[in-house]
Amino acid sequence: MTSPMERGLYIAASGMLAEQARQDLIAHDLANASTPGYKPDRVASTSFGDLLLSDTASGRPIGALGLGTQIDRQVTDTSPGPLHDTGEPLDFAVQGDGFFAVRTSAGVRYTRDGQFSASAGGTLVTAAGDDVLGPGGAPVRIGAGGTVAPSAIGVVALTNARRQGDTLFTGTPGATATATGTVRGGALEGSAVDPVHTMVEMLGSLRTFEAGQRVITTIDSTLGKAANQVGAV
Amino acid sequence: MLEGLKAAATGMTAQQTRMDALSNDIANVNTTGYKHERVAFGDLVASATGPGSAQTVAAGAGVAVGPAGRGTGQGALHTTDQPLDVAIQGDGYLQVKLADGRTGMTRDGSLHVDARGRLMTSSGALLQPPVTLPRGVSAKDLTIHPDGTLNAQGKPIGRMALVNVVAPSKLDDAGNGVYTANAASGPPRVAGTNTTLVQGALESSNVDIADAMVDLMDAQRSFQMASQAVRTQDQMLSIANGLKT
Repeated sequence: MTSPMERGLYIAASGMLAEQARQDLIAHDLANASTPGYKPDRVASTSFGDLLLSDTASGRPIGALGLGTQIDRQVTDTSPGPLHDTGEPLDFAVQGDGFFAVRTSAGVRYTRDGQFSASAGGTLVTAAGDDVLGPGGAPVRIGAGGTVAPSAIGVVALTNARRQGDTLFTGTPGATATATGTVRGGALEGSAVDPVHTMVEMLGSLRTFEAGQRVITTIDSTLGKAANQVGAV
Repeated sequence: MLEGLKAAATGMTAQQTRMDALSNDIANVNTTGYKHERVAFGDLVASATGPGSAQTVAAGAGVAVGPAGRGTGQGALHTTDQPLDVAIQGDGYLQVKLADGRTGMTRDGSLHVDARGRLMTSSGALLQPPVTLPRGVSAKDLTIHPDGTLNAQGKPIGRMALVNVVAPSKLDDAGNGVYTANAASGPPRVAGTNTTLVQGALESSNVDIADAMVDLMDAQRSFQMASQAVRTQDQMLSIANGLKT
C-alpha cells in the first residue's frame, strides 16, 4: 500500500488524466460542429473503488476515500439538431425521433445525416455510396426527374445508439412502425453540438486540469520539505 | 492528449475546405450556369482513449471532409434577347465536345459562331452533335425550339442534344462550367421532356449570396471554435509540463 502522501499524488494525477480524455472528446465535438446529423457524447466520470481509512492508533474507522477518477461511460445524446432547408431534392431530414437505415458492407447501420445522392444504378445512396433503405428494407429507387418521395424512405427507432464514425450509428432497431419521426425532403439536420455548452465545458475542464496540477505541485513541495527539512538544524 | 490536438486540427481543415468552396461560389455569383459547390462532413472514430477513461470509451478522431457534388437548384433566367443565348429550364445539360475530344456537358448556353459557322460555347467547346449554320444564314435568323431543334429561315438545320446522367453529383468537373460523365455518374442519356431550352435568355448562377455569406460566417466561427480547442489542448500540455518545476 502506498503511503498517504503518494496516494494523494496518484489521485490528483488520475483527475488530470480524466480531464485529458474529456478534452479529447470535446475537441472531437467541436471539430464536428458542421457535420450533418452528428450527435455529441455525454460522458460520466466515476470514482475508483473506495478505500476505508482507519485510525492507525485506535483502529477506529475514519471514513471512505476515493482513489481517483476516470471517465467511465459515454452516452450518445440523440437529441435532435436544428433542421435547415437546402432545397436539394435528395437532402432529407428526420423530423422527430428515428434514424435512416443504411446498408453498409458491415451490415445495416443508422444515420441522421440525410445528405444523400444518386448512384449510377439509380438508387439513393449516402456520401460513402451505401444504399439507403426504404420502409420495407429494400434500397430506395430514384424516381423520374431525379426525385424521391419522403415517404419512400424508412425511419427506424433506435435504442442504445452508439456512434460508429462517418455519421453512422449502431444500435438495437425497433419495428419501423414504432418510429415517430417523419421524413422531410429538401432539408438537412445540422450538427447537434451546442457551441456554448461545449466551449464552457472545455474551459471548465481546462481549469480542473490546472487545479489537479496545483494539487500535485503542492504535494510535491510538501514531500520535498519532508525529505529535506525534517531533522535539519 | 495529442489525439485531441489532431481532432481539433481536422475541424480547422474541414472548415477551411468549406470556406474555399464558399469563396469559389461567391467569386462565381455572376457566372452563367454556375452551380454552387457542396461539401460533405463525416465524423471519424478512433479506437479507445488513453489512460483516464475506461476501455469502452471510444474517442473521436475529428472530422473528414469531401466534395459532395453541386447544388441542383435552377438559376434565375434573365432575358438577353440575343438569338444565340439559350437557357436550360429543368435538369440536364447541353452536350459539347471538348478540345481534347472528350464529350462534356454544360449549362452555359452563351453560344457563339466560329469562322466555319459552327456553334460553340463561350469556352470554345463545339456542340455535339455539331450544328453548322448554312451559308448565308446569320445568327438572327435562327430559331431555337424548346426541345433543342434549330430552324433557320423556316428550315431545320440541326438539333442541340439535351442530356442528363443518373447521378449528377458524381460528375467530374472539367473546368469552364463543363462536366464529364464517369462510371459513378452513369453515361449521358437524353434528358426528360421537362427539360427545355429558352432562346434569348441565360441562366444565372444559383449561388444565393445571402446564404453564402451566412454559411461563410458559420464556417469562420466554427473554425475559430476548433482553433480554441487546439489552443486549450496546447495550454494543457503546457500545464502538464509545469508539473516538474
